[in-house]
Amino acid sequence: MTALPTAAGVATRPATRIDSRVGRELNAMVAIAWREVLRAVKSKVSLAFTVIFPVIFMGILGGSISQNLGGALPYAYLPFMLIGMIANTLYQGTITGVTNLVEERENDFTAELFVAPISRYAVLLGKTIGAAIASLISLVGILAMVVVMSIPLDLGDLLRVLALSPVLALAGGSLGVLFVGFVRDPRVAGIGVALLVFPQMFLAGALIPINASNGILGLLAKLMPMTYSIDLARNIFYAGKPEYATAVLHPMWLDLGVTAALFALFTIVGTYFFVRSDRNR
Amino acid sequence: MTGPAARIGATPIIRVEHLTKRYSKAPKPAVDDINFDVMPGELFAFLGPNGAGKTTTISILTTTLAKTSGTVTIAGRDLDRDQTGVRGEIGIIFQNASLDQHLSGEENIRLHVALYGIHGYRPFYRLMPAEYRTRIERLAAVVGLEDALSKPVSTYSGGMKRKLEIVRSLMHRPRILFLDEPTSGLDPVSRRDLWAYLRDVRREDSTTIFLTTHYLEEAEEADSVCVIDHGRIAMLGTPDEIKGRLLDRSILLDADDREGLLTELRGLGLEPAVDPGGLVRVGYEDRTAQSIIARIRTPLSVLRVHEPSLEEAYVELLGTTAGEAEEIQEAAA
Repeated sequence: MTALPTAAGVATRPATRIDSRVGRELNAMVAIAWREVLRAVKSKVSLAFTVIFPVIFMGILGGSISQNLGGALPYAYLPFMLIGMIANTLYQGTITGVTNLVEERENDFTAELFVAPISRYAVLLGKTIGAAIASLISLVGILAMVVVMSIPLDLGDLLRVLALSPVLALAGGSLGVLFVGFVRDPRVAGIGVALLVFPQMFLAGALIPINASNGILGLLAKLMPMTYSIDLARNIFYAGKPEYATAVLHPMWLDLGVTAALFALFTIVGTYFFVRSDRNR
Repeated sequence: MTGPAARIGATPIIRVEHLTKRYSKAPKPAVDDINFDVMPGELFAFLGPNGAGKTTTISILTTTLAKTSGTVTIAGRDLDRDQTGVRGEIGIIFQNASLDQHLSGEENIRLHVALYGIHGYRPFYRLMPAEYRTRIERLAAVVGLEDALSKPVSTYSGGMKRKLEIVRSLMHRPRILFLDEPTSGLDPVSRRDLWAYLRDVRREDSTTIFLTTHYLEEAEEADSVCVIDHGRIAMLGTPDEIKGRLLDRSILLDADDREGLLTELRGLGLEPAVDPGGLVRVGYEDRTAQSIIARIRTPLSVLRVHEPSLEEAYVELLGTTAGEAEEIQEAAA
């Protein structure tokens, strides 16, 4: 028989260190958010995509468009694409981070989160904030492509767009929250996330200008939530520049208003259904 | 003090009244109007075949599943009105590992203590309070995980993951520990060590343990056993009560002169029978085995006192199919 250390002294029950309910919820949110960051840093697949994604979409696709069609545009294509891809990466990265809650339901990790004495709202908000921070890591590959592709850029303009990154990431996170409010099956989630991510990248104008989109494509572009987030980033970037009128779709107040309204709507509806569906089976 | 004596006049730490759960679109309830009490400090074994309603019940008690009707009170808190309070009183080891494979063992535990508000979260281990570091190192030493805490959980064996979950569940010192098949996947030595430690925790801290298991010998030392089948309570009592209600205690005998032995036993007012194994079985319900053996004069070639096990009682109670019995025996092997 292996000698076991006694549990005496280990098992005495201490008072909980964080007494206030708000303090506990905030502490839990920080822990959940940091977990997302740790996962992003530790996942080799995630880090590989940080490099592969910009190489494929910016280097190969964006580079080809720039060389073959860029000359027809009334503004430089590469900075236009760069801003679109920054917004797209933050938006989509946060969606993906939040929606992996569905996968975690399957592998039972969420059981640990949901039996803890914290609200479901703290879980979702912590997850969203963490996914938003983790999505910033994905920007490293994109910013490296600025150097590789020699994209002409003013540092001040870039910093203004990066200052907007919390808004862009949280906007994407809210769409992820809406998604997990309604989807429970990981197989459905896999397809659903792909449908949320890739059509939006093209329809919302991350890579390709959509000023001239009309008919069904024009309607879809208007319906895509990310359209307004990407245009908001371009509003910031092109503010005061001669290209503003041709590179930007909507006035800033419209982009900001739609982004804020969709954030509130998606977060409230998604959280409500997520909390409800989790226990009511 | 635990067990039946503790029930007299004590307030249950878990009270379940008329609990029913019907899943949407299911033709009948998974849990159908069940009632039971668990007393403070008790080891309460909740047994039943697969699909009987064990996991549904434990999911409701641990707040991860809404009930259809009934009342549940845990540590004096109503499950409907104070779920967060209930969660603060309980610890759980799930049937399936609920660990983040990407994180290290220690990072999983650090997340846990933050979720339970025990310590403020710090992004690095060395920044955590000394009290946390001391406790985690001590608990890890108890289960033999001290060298593996900084390694990713994805590199752990099934047994190591179980041990990590045990350390995690004890970090916040719960009043009630729910163990949903805690030793499945553990080797015999780890199982024995785990139970030795859990006994220690119960003794030192009066922690109530709510156990589901397919290893019925683990339930032998329970204070109360509740058997659920098809969503309803099939039997509730101490292991001895359940065995006594369902099985006869008997002596197995044989002699070179078997006919002479049978005649002698009948002459003593007993009712011997030759069992399928070819031995003479004599029941001794109201006496001791010794009182019978002392009166036998025929030289014996075989003498065995048969004390029924909980597993036998369980199989008898449920009238299991051959397949179910096989499953239980496999789990017990």
